[in-house]
Amino acid sequence: MTIVTGKAEARRRLQPGWSGALRKIWEHRADYAYVLPAIVVMLIVIAYPIYYTVELSFFKTPPGLQLRDKSFIGFDNYTAILTSQVFWKVTWNTLIWTLGSTLISFVLGFATALALHCDFIGRGVLRAILIIPWVISAVAASYIWKWIYHSDFGIIGAVLVGLGLTDRPPNFIDNVSTVLPSLIVVNIWREFPFAMIMMMAGLQTVPEQLLRAAEVDGANAWQRFWHVTFPHLRNVSTVTILLLAVANFNSFIIPWIMTGGGPSNASHIWITHIYELAFGRQRWGVASAYSVLLFLILMTLGYFYVRALSGNERKEGSA
Amino acid sequence: MAHVVLKDLVKTYGSFKAVNDVSLTVNDGEFVALVGPSGCGKTTTLNLVAGLIPITSGDIVIGDRVVNGLDPKDRDIAMVFQNYALYPQKSVYKNLAFPLQMRKLPRDEIDRKVKEAARVLDMTHLLERKPRELSGGQQQRVALGRALVRDPAVFLMDEPLSNLDAKLRVQMRSEIKRFHQDLKATIIYVTHDQLEAVTMADKMAVMNGGYLQQYDSPAQVFAHPVNMFVASFIGSPAMSLIPLEASTANGNTVLTGAEGWSLELSPRNAQKAARATTKKVVLGARHSTIKLHKSAVPGSVPAKAYTVEPTGDVTFVQALLSGVIVNISVPPNIAVAPDEQIWLEFDQERIHVFDGETEMALKAD
Repeated sequence: MTIVTGKAEARRRLQPGWSGALRKIWEHRADYAYVLPAIVVMLIVIAYPIYYTVELSFFKTPPGLQLRDKSFIGFDNYTAILTSQVFWKVTWNTLIWTLGSTLISFVLGFATALALHCDFIGRGVLRAILIIPWVISAVAASYIWKWIYHSDFGIIGAVLVGLGLTDRPPNFIDNVSTVLPSLIVVNIWREFPFAMIMMMAGLQTVPEQLLRAAEVDGANAWQRFWHVTFPHLRNVSTVTILLLAVANFNSFIIPWIMTGGGPSNASHIWITHIYELAFGRQRWGVASAYSVLLFLILMTLGYFYVRALSGNERKEGSA
Repeated sequence: MAHVVLKDLVKTYGSFKAVNDVSLTVNDGEFVALVGPSGCGKTTTLNLVAGLIPITSGDIVIGDRVVNGLDPKDRDIAMVFQNYALYPQKSVYKNLAFPLQMRKLPRDEIDRKVKEAARVLDMTHLLERKPRELSGGQQQRVALGRALVRDPAVFLMDEPLSNLDAKLRVQMRSEIKRFHQDLKATIIYVTHDQLEAVTMADKMAVMNGGYLQQYDSPAQVFAHPVNMFVASFIGSPAMSLIPLEASTANGNTVLTGAEGWSLELSPRNAQKAARATTKKVVLGARHSTIKLHKSAVPGSVPAKAYTVEPTGDVTFVQALLSGVIVNISVPPNIAVAPDEQIWLEFDQERIHVFDGETEMALKAD
């Protein structure tokens, strides 16, 4: 068989009344044929799960995997979520977790990048060591930290007792008031090297002549940072913060392995909570409704991320 | 404005000497060009004067102060950079105001000075724009303005025109020259382009390998280069340097070329050649001091045309003589073909004689 792509042939076959968009698709039908397999795969692995999650969120689902017994309940799952105390608790935790981890990781990573940008002996070794937390597996890191925090055998507790600062080792992750900050510390430890690498790369693009010009103009080290280095790093900072925020909003491994969301939901964030609802308690409908809400929030973050990126391109394009 | 004195200035990086015992005096209001090929130490010298890198030894005097250990901001200098170094996030106004803000001047005074500088450089209409909205020439003018508002004792310029296209470079060249004349500013100007140095500077310091080769007015450097490096670096096309052998017969000094021809020297040039450390001398001749003949005339030497480059009002002929290429300029109406046999006659009043061993210019009494 021959594929006819000639415009005259296409026009001959077109029915009157077809809209412009369809006409265009028809004219480029060979191009669409080439990407069709990829589109089909995407539909199966991305679009269908999203659709199915949205659909499930409107159903009451029995426990177990008997999803054919589900019954339509409209927005009941959403109302239930938004009126439950756990929802607000988990949302609050997620906010603290995301903002705390993101901002502190960024500031710490930026500070480390600035320190490593200076020339000193052992810089390469130090840089390599500092990247380790980021490259080791999150699961391994979680177990290591679980032991570090352990109330009976943990090294932090032992050191504090040894120094005479407390009588008993503190209970970091079995205590509702300390569990979330303790997990945030682990998360920061794990991801500040990412911010460090991003900012180090950014620092290398600061033009040397600009810094020299500022020096001749009378700017001291802090003023050079504030007037030259920092403005130059604005875009890379935005991108780093957004990437960290999305990653933190979505993080699962550290809280799930270290505490499983406990004690009494004190360290549950959205992702762990959804996971527990779905795969722990098999409340598929409610978990789906949670996922839809999460999806909307992340799409909003994603919108700002893309806008920040395309903003850069616009600026560079006009330069 | 102030004078600048460099005394035995040395900068070393490990065992590498970037600047070697450079001494020179820039008088008040003088425009001095540091010129040389890349890696000759000219930019390093400028950065030493600016205080952006510390000196190894020697003294730098600006005005009547020794500034060796002072920070750039305390040296009363302003600098213009090759890629303009404008703060990209700041408007032109804020770029101009920045050095004054850093000096904590009152707001109204900053405003007055910025507007004055903008008026002088004819860029009042650009004050609200960002650097990226300006052309290369405008950006360089803003960079000049940022130096100007400070009213510094010395202006340091590091290849300020190299990023501009050829046409704009010529235009900005005259603008900077005008800037110097109007302000009676002391300017130290680094360039690798000898034409910029020759056209703009009151004096030029020719550097090579970290050493100051010659420091004099462009006319003097052009007419009396102290050595073969300066001779070949200044002037375009470059001075032709022809290695020859000197000998004396019947009281006359003759130079013999590799092809066997000989050229009798005038008494004055013979005196110069006699002072060479060995028999090897190098004859230096600029393109305009060589006459091209189509047939042998007394005092001419045979050569072979190599390439012919018509430029419109003058045609440059490259000829092979004694194993080197010799540049000759001829009127455009004289037709020369490649590989044609030609004869060259040197203007003995205007040729240079160099010592083939030391490469230094030889002088007569």
